[in-house]
Amino acid sequence: MTAGSGDSQRAADRIRAFEQAGSAEELVVATRRLIACDDPLATVPHLVRVLGFNNPGAAVAAVDGLIALGPAAVGPLLANLDAHNYGARAWAVRALAGIGDTRGLDVLEDALATDVGPSVRRAAARGLGALRLETLPEEERELLRERCLGALESGRTDGEWVVRYAVAVGFEGLALPLLPAHPHSDRAEANLAHLLDPEREATLVVRLRAGVALKRLNAR
Amino acid sequence: MAGDGEPISEAEALEQLRQKDDQSRQYYAAWWLGRMRSRHPEAVPLLLEALSQRQPRDAGAGVEHNAVARNAARALGKIADERAVPELLAVLDDADDGLREAAARALGELGATAAVPILTRRLASGPDVAGANRSDSPRLQEPCEAMLEALGTIGVAEPDVLTVIKLFTSHGRPLVRSAACRALLQLTGETAWADELLLLLQHPQLQVRRAALMDLGALGWRPALDPIRRTFAENSLKLIALRGLVEHGAGSEADSDDEAVLMAMDALL
Repeated sequence: MTAGSGDSQRAADRIRAFEQAGSAEELVVATRRLIACDDPLATVPHLVRVLGFNNPGAAVAAVDGLIALGPAAVGPLLANLDAHNYGARAWAVRALAGIGDTRGLDVLEDALATDVGPSVRRAAARGLGALRLETLPEEERELLRERCLGALESGRTDGEWVVRYAVAVGFEGLALPLLPAHPHSDRAEANLAHLLDPEREATLVVRLRAGVALKRLNAR
Repeated sequence: MAGDGEPISEAEALEQLRQKDDQSRQYYAAWWLGRMRSRHPEAVPLLLEALSQRQPRDAGAGVEHNAVARNAARALGKIADERAVPELLAVLDDADDGLREAAARALGELGATAAVPILTRRLASGPDVAGANRSDSPRLQEPCEAMLEALGTIGVAEPDVLTVIKLFTSHGRPLVRSAACRALLQLTGETAWADELLLLLQHPQLQVRRAALMDLGALGWRPALDPIRRTFAENSLKLIALRGLVEHGAGSEADSDDEAVLMAMDALL
């Protein structure tokens, strides 16, 4: 098998093929192939670079790949956050939201509160309800959850329905692992009750999602 | 340029629409009143007056032909006050196709059955005449998409109306075919027309897939859930389409069918 051949599983070959991709289409295919190689960790810097290429197809593939790699991708993602490349930053927020590593919390809070793109705010809201807290000491968990709740509470009155929808999903995700009597669960449920109320939430699909969330929390 | 997006009050919007010296302010005020769905008693009379205003296109200032009148028509559709129907009907025969387009959409939003004979008459010559390309612009002789959509929304399923709409299911432009199929599905409930829309979800052009997404969402066509999930398009648009699917059939609480759509939405966030 020759180096760079399409069938090679070797990371080095796939990275070379990726570097040589000429067209937008080729880049999408080469990005997908990066993820399915024998040493995916070696491809992380390349996947992170793809986020800045203004190629949505390739960026979607890279985000999926980075999420699959999990915590190992978080360092490179945070180190390469580019305040001046809006597209790259938006994709990085999506990747961090999907990974759920607590090191991404600052970025998610900031994105939900200030990002101009509803698609970025909605990803951040989902991520704030899906941080992986279970391995942390109880005290630290409480502090981080407190921050997530505060950020989601502010996002509850976002002007875009899709962000409020994601906020409902976030509250559900945050409260589901808790005991029903936990004060954070009460707080999440109070916020969901707000999103369920036609007087305070105008969009039907948001109310329906909040209703499903409350039903699931009640069934714990 | 003045009037570009600064926040104004309802009173200011009415005042800016009433004055005639600065058309860009009128343009913005008309848009604002529609967007806010103004219930002020002066809003509809002022918009009807603006609807009769004609002005040439000013390319230098980025102003479209009859800009104020077009925005007035759009606003009247959003405010959906019956009093606007006679004037909007008259505008369906205006020489400006952009204004006919805005009026057709507005009459659709108003559910104005009186528009059906006029829309049907203007489309009756079919794809070769009404749907022919114009020599002076990329537009068609008639604003076919807007007119077909309006016929579907208004909902008069008489045989002569259906016959005219069916002519456009073989139009050369996929977006026109999409609008025709959507209208036929709305009017007849025959699922064959949905199949056509589902096919368009696989069209090589993103713009066509986007239009099919929006059409299926607006129809609330539940069997489209999986094809919508699978099509190659932005998650933002899929979410809008799926919102349409859920909100169409749902009561105040989600049943298990609704929940399946909601879970598909969660996966796109």
